[in-house]
Amino acid sequence: MSPARVLALLVIWHGVLSLGLFGVGISGLLRAWHALDVVRGAAHAAAVWLAVLSAAAALCIARRAHLGRTLSLVTHYLVFVAALIGLASLLDWFKGLDDLADYAARGTPFLMAFVIVVGYAVRTYERRERPVSPLRRAIGAAVMIAGGVGLALSVGITTALVSWVAKLVAGGWEALGWIGLMIASLFMLRVMWRAPVALWLGARSVFNERLTGWLFLSPNLLGFALFFAGPLLFSLYVSFTNWDAFARRDWVGLENYARVFTIVVQPLATPDQPASEALDIRAYSELFRVHLPGQSFLVGARDRLFWIALGNTLRFGAMAVPLSVVPALLLAVLLNTRLPGMRLYRTLYFIPSIAAVVGVALIWQWMYNSQVGWINYFITSAINAINQVLGTRIPDPQIRWLADSNYALLSVVIMSAWQWIGFNTVLFLAGLQTIPRELYEAATVDGANGRQRFFYITLPMLAPTTLYVLITSTIQALQVFDQVFIISNGTGGPGTSTLTMTLNLYQNGFQSFRQGYASALAWVLFVVIFIFTLFQFRRQRQASGAYDL
Amino acid sequence: MKSYLSSFVRLAFAASMVLSAACVATPAAPAPTQPAPAQPAPAQPEQPTEPTAAPTEAAEVVLRWRTRPDNKEEADVYASISEEVSRKIGVKLVYEPGGSETASYQDVLKTELAAGTAPDVFWIPGTDIADFVQRGLLLDLRPYAAKTEGYSDDNFYPEPMFHLTYNPATGKTGEVLWGLPRDVSTFVLYLNLDLINEAGAPDPRELAKAGKWDWAAFEEVARKVTALGGEIKGFGMNAWWGPYGAFMNAAGGGFFNAERNACNLTSKESLEGLAFLKKLYDEGLAVPYGEDSEPPFRAGKVGMFQNGRWATPGISTVSFNWDVVELPKGPSGHMGNWLFWGAYVVNKNTKYPELAWKLVDALTQPDVQAKVAARGTNIPSRRGEAVFQEFLKILPEKNNQAFLNGLADKPTAEGPLWTGSWPDFDRAMGAKVSDLLTGKITLEEFAKTACDEPSKAFNP
Repeated sequence: MSPARVLALLVIWHGVLSLGLFGVGISGLLRAWHALDVVRGAAHAAAVWLAVLSAAAALCIARRAHLGRTLSLVTHYLVFVAALIGLASLLDWFKGLDDLADYAARGTPFLMAFVIVVGYAVRTYERRERPVSPLRRAIGAAVMIAGGVGLALSVGITTALVSWVAKLVAGGWEALGWIGLMIASLFMLRVMWRAPVALWLGARSVFNERLTGWLFLSPNLLGFALFFAGPLLFSLYVSFTNWDAFARRDWVGLENYARVFTIVVQPLATPDQPASEALDIRAYSELFRVHLPGQSFLVGARDRLFWIALGNTLRFGAMAVPLSVVPALLLAVLLNTRLPGMRLYRTLYFIPSIAAVVGVALIWQWMYNSQVGWINYFITSAINAINQVLGTRIPDPQIRWLADSNYALLSVVIMSAWQWIGFNTVLFLAGLQTIPRELYEAATVDGANGRQRFFYITLPMLAPTTLYVLITSTIQALQVFDQVFIISNGTGGPGTSTLTMTLNLYQNGFQSFRQGYASALAWVLFVVIFIFTLFQFRRQRQASGAYDL
Repeated sequence: MKSYLSSFVRLAFAASMVLSAACVATPAAPAPTQPAPAQPAPAQPEQPTEPTAAPTEAAEVVLRWRTRPDNKEEADVYASISEEVSRKIGVKLVYEPGGSETASYQDVLKTELAAGTAPDVFWIPGTDIADFVQRGLLLDLRPYAAKTEGYSDDNFYPEPMFHLTYNPATGKTGEVLWGLPRDVSTFVLYLNLDLINEAGAPDPRELAKAGKWDWAAFEEVARKVTALGGEIKGFGMNAWWGPYGAFMNAAGGGFFNAERNACNLTSKESLEGLAFLKKLYDEGLAVPYGEDSEPPFRAGKVGMFQNGRWATPGISTVSFNWDVVELPKGPSGHMGNWLFWGAYVVNKNTKYPELAWKLVDALTQPDVQAKVAARGTNIPSRRGEAVFQEFLKILPEKNNQAFLNGLADKPTAEGPLWTGSWPDFDRAMGAKVSDLLTGKITLEEFAKTACDEPSKAFNP
């Protein structure tokens, strides 16, 4: 077939594909618009976008521009992926992923023993004096194939295939459509990739290398779009609805955000006037009172728990960040010395960072028990010892770590800082090891003492690491959830003393099933974290200027 | 590049094979379907559909079911029951032990329901029935029960059945059937007899037998045990609605008004119950509110620990002499106990409603309940002298009668909130009671504001 005819056919194909995708996309978009279904709308908007790509590809191919080949390859690749997802969804592959975790264990012996250990070793292990013989390579390959077959059989390949065919048949035209689209896309990819079409469109090796690079990047890019950017945008949309995760999803505009931020200030007739007399308590709750000379005010909020959670979170961050950064820095300096056993200590300090938060929280919960916990036991023992030795009468405070709202948040701070110190220490250690020793040697020659070396060399040189540690610790602190969830049994108690923003978000989203409102809270939390991070960057930039780094 | 593409295609094919293999293992889960629309207000339950015949390919049907066992041993019991019931009803069953109480069982379940991946049959606590029903997540089992020989609502305790047969649209009971109770439970006081003897306090079991086990006697025992000094406390309970609610009930109060559509925390009776509790905390007679009282009780530092039947297996391993006694009677003349319950319910989207009903029915048969109760964790939800006699024989051979006494003395059923959101009410109430019992606010302050936030949980 002549090049002109082939290219004309390709233009026609792209035109048809474009029209098809456009038709499906627009009709779906209209339906989604009426149903206010953003997920369906996004999927169909993607189809329209692919239609535009395909149309552009047709135009460029008609002009014999290489861009047409690139657009065609991208279009068909994305159509192939979309068809694969459609088919996978139809055949319940995504549910199968969960079950694979359960059934994969059966195949482990085959995978480990035959495929990896025996087969691979036999096939590839060679000694310098005696290379692998063809026979051994064949045996190794056979063992690997046998292992692969065993793996497939053990996880149920035979019944799988039967079921797969059954589901395909049950899927009817839809399944056939997806498969047809996949085959057509693969065929067109092959046509566009290979000569002679590639040559007719002016393909060069540099283009192919570039496309190969994008091909290998594509799983990550698609994953990012589907599992990160997509849900992120979806949550933004949900924050403007009253979605309950089941069916109700009415557009409420900025109502959720208004509820978060609405605050009223009411003058009080007397400082102790009941809130119910000053506020419409069906809509508002008392937040706090301000007593000025001659006049008291009551500050109320539509969602008082948001403000309480915000306050608790900021308090938590204000305590946990310094407590997990400053000791980590000092510890890193200590562990950076060349004393015997330092590697062991580094490991020991790092262990809490990799321990499961739930396990750690449960152990701390027990240690905090005011009656039988170790912490109060040590405090009591220490006070008794001091009283005995010095003859004083210091009372035993018997701190109710988790039962007293004055101490509960502090308890979580201590536990969290203990857990985060190890990781921060490792970061600081890495930073310390990049500081040139010559600087210390020069400073020593100039007569600088240890304190001066620390403040005038170590700290400035660690500034980038410190910024990173501060930012990650702040984000971690503002997002604290697991620790408070376990310690307070999910209540944020006692009272509301350990209710943090993420816990409040969780309670709204997954206990009361106000997904719309919870999404709004999540975006507010994002803005809060963003502001803090921006502030830290600015501060660091100023500090960097001061240190002239 | 050719080799790259070819490898990519081969890899994709291999992955699809493995994935499809996994798909098969999926226990005949129905294809994802849109959950039924939730109703913002109490919903008219869908018109009962005629029970459909079991699919002809019943041998291939797989039903998933889930409970929230308290420990590994109990999960094992349920797993063995699953196999037994599977043989009995001729359906392959997959038992999924849900997480523990602290693992947010209901939150996970609701998320799965929203995603269309929840089991066919599952257990939920009694307080959650209304929430699940009003979101349209549960199947009305009445048509299937009506066809079942020997089935009667009267076989079970009436308190849970009131809620399980409540039609929120008409406000009447008996019209629908949302599930069957798995078990019931009630509070007792677990006693450290060694501490009580050492303190010279009267034996609560004897006082109960003599009809003298009231709040005054209870306080006296707590006071004497606490007087032993050190970290020893007379009483301990955990921080959730059950324990303090029992004291409010015993005083004649409660969380809700009689119609269950308004907050009742500030009634005179409710406040009397809380005032009694607050005195125990303020005077240091109790383990500080908000702390888990079980570790100090197990460590021999608490004289009386209020908890349910579910705590028995754990406590039976302590090294001191222990027993149980019913809750003391309050000013109302009753002990104000709860009748805790949870129910097996059926996913509205199950593909096999009739088989799911058969499973629910089988799981609540006396022989199955006896097996679960034998673990010592639960009390059978079926009534009758024979059931009681069997329960009394269950190990550990302690004062099992105390549990039954609790059930007999006008218990208040753990109840869902048909006119509002129980999670919202519970959260607001819990924070306020916590402030009261930890000394952050006075009883007077509590009385002024306690209902402000919980009242918002009711439907407008």
